[in-house]
Amino acid sequence: MSLVLEGLVAGRRGFRLPPLDLAVAPGDVVALIGPNGAGKTTLLKTLAGLLAPISGRIVRPGPAAYLPAPGAVSAGFPALHVAALGRAGRRRWAPALGPDDLDAAHAALLRLDIADLARRPFDRLSSGQQQLVLIARLFVQDAAVCLLDEPLALLDPAHAQQVETAIRALAREGRIVITSTHHLPFAMRADRVLSLGPDWIESAPPEAALAPDRLRALFGVETAACPCCGHAVA
Amino acid sequence: MAGLSPLPGWVPTLALSLLALVAAVVVLGSGPLAVPPADLAAALLGRGSSEAELALALRGPRLLAALTCGAALAGAGAGFQILFRNPLASPDLLGVSSGAGFGAAVALLLGAGALLVQTAAFMGGLATGALAVGCAALTRSGDGRLALILCGVVAGALASAGLGLVVTLAEPYSQLPAITYWLLGSFARATLSKAALSLIPATIGTATLLWLGFRLDVLSLGDEQARSLGLPARPLRIIALCAAALMTSAAVAVAGVVGWIGLLAPHAARLIVGEQAGRLIPLAMAIGALFAVVIDRLAAAFGPAEVPVGLLSAAVGAPAFLLLFVLNARRA
Repeated sequence: MSLVLEGLVAGRRGFRLPPLDLAVAPGDVVALIGPNGAGKTTLLKTLAGLLAPISGRIVRPGPAAYLPAPGAVSAGFPALHVAALGRAGRRRWAPALGPDDLDAAHAALLRLDIADLARRPFDRLSSGQQQLVLIARLFVQDAAVCLLDEPLALLDPAHAQQVETAIRALAREGRIVITSTHHLPFAMRADRVLSLGPDWIESAPPEAALAPDRLRALFGVETAACPCCGHAVA
Repeated sequence: MAGLSPLPGWVPTLALSLLALVAAVVVLGSGPLAVPPADLAAALLGRGSSEAELALALRGPRLLAALTCGAALAGAGAGFQILFRNPLASPDLLGVSSGAGFGAAVALLLGAGALLVQTAAFMGGLATGALAVGCAALTRSGDGRLALILCGVVAGALASAGLGLVVTLAEPYSQLPAITYWLLGSFARATLSKAALSLIPATIGTATLLWLGFRLDVLSLGDEQARSLGLPARPLRIIALCAAALMTSAAVAVAGVVGWIGLLAPHAARLIVGEQAGRLIPLAMAIGALFAVVIDRLAAAFGPAEVPVGLLSAAVGAPAFLLLFVLNARRA
């Protein structure tokens, strides 16, 4: 089932985004780009159900999960436990997390190649490692819609590659993944790009959305290269 | 590693609980009226010597109060520290102690009996906690933690102002000393009925916090993460706050304001088992019970004019807290 938005207007007090009609098929990775303050986080949180939409309708194929930018989650317990908490919603009224929850967490860490972090306190991991642990938690949680806020921010190239691979794996299993990003080469590799300007939203294939004139319209400056890493966009 | 110890979480908890039990037996049988443990056990079953029965009757209620309050304050402190992800959060965070003090002072001013004073203290503590939680709920800010801390300060300040008023109204030769002594905190005035009366709410609060377990860990990530993980963050947070406030009120009602246990015990426990609520809270409670029993025995050892346990727990607790803080910081 697809994620369907019908005339969705997201926003907060004194701030509203332009209306958005969109359908995202399972397995698709959507990159959400736009200048700072355009409302990318507001849109993601609205899609996640953390903020109420001002008007319009969201039809979700299943539960949604929201992940803030790297460094925003802080926890003193071990990485394995952080990943296992992905089952919290399913164990809402259960007396405790069970052994199979820990097994699922361990399997998720293993598949992202970070099983060695399992017993380390989350707070003492690097931003990149923390982000991988939180994506492992998305696998454990198994939400149908994964909304990631700048998942590549603050990451070195090696961790950025690992995170991008993990994001693709999330989508390959039939989840819908929407990530905001300033890393334009990543947006180029997405299935679809959602450009969020000051008073317009536009959904387009990456080649069209990242064409020089569209980027100029979006950011107001010439950006032949990615603003965050300097790589050529095309 | 989560803590210093590679052992499973329940091992240190079991060890500390046994230690608290041993300390309790030693305290019961030592002092001016010395009784061997076997005699005490027989007396518990109703077949002991008259000395043992006397020791049990004299020291039992006080010991029960110390165990209950120590465990309850430590558990509530651990709960607050997890919920607010703040190592300085103490059982007083919602102004519960000030409210209980105000309630007790009003009852003492009106010349109420001991059980009524305890009840008034309990209700005062709960009411102040409820006021703080209620005001914070009204603000509807995104993550309610800052609002809760502020409202806790406000509710506590209101109760303190009321307490100050009662103190100025109190008759200076009989009522004032009673109020002051109550506020300093002591297990000496515990009776079996008073201790048993506190045991009930303390047990309910404890059971709730222990059930919350991993849900507290999720709440410690913030409301937004908790909701994104599929938990009803707001109701769960309110349940957790009520449980912790219940435990604090139960403790303060029977013993007065005994500070530092709720701050100290969770820190010591964190050093051993790390931050997971399911491990931290039981161990903190065992440590709190042990600390309260030992500190109360020390308070009694000062002779007939014993030191209020609240003073002693601060005198021992403050430097011990500093030591634990340094140890924790060095490991980070």
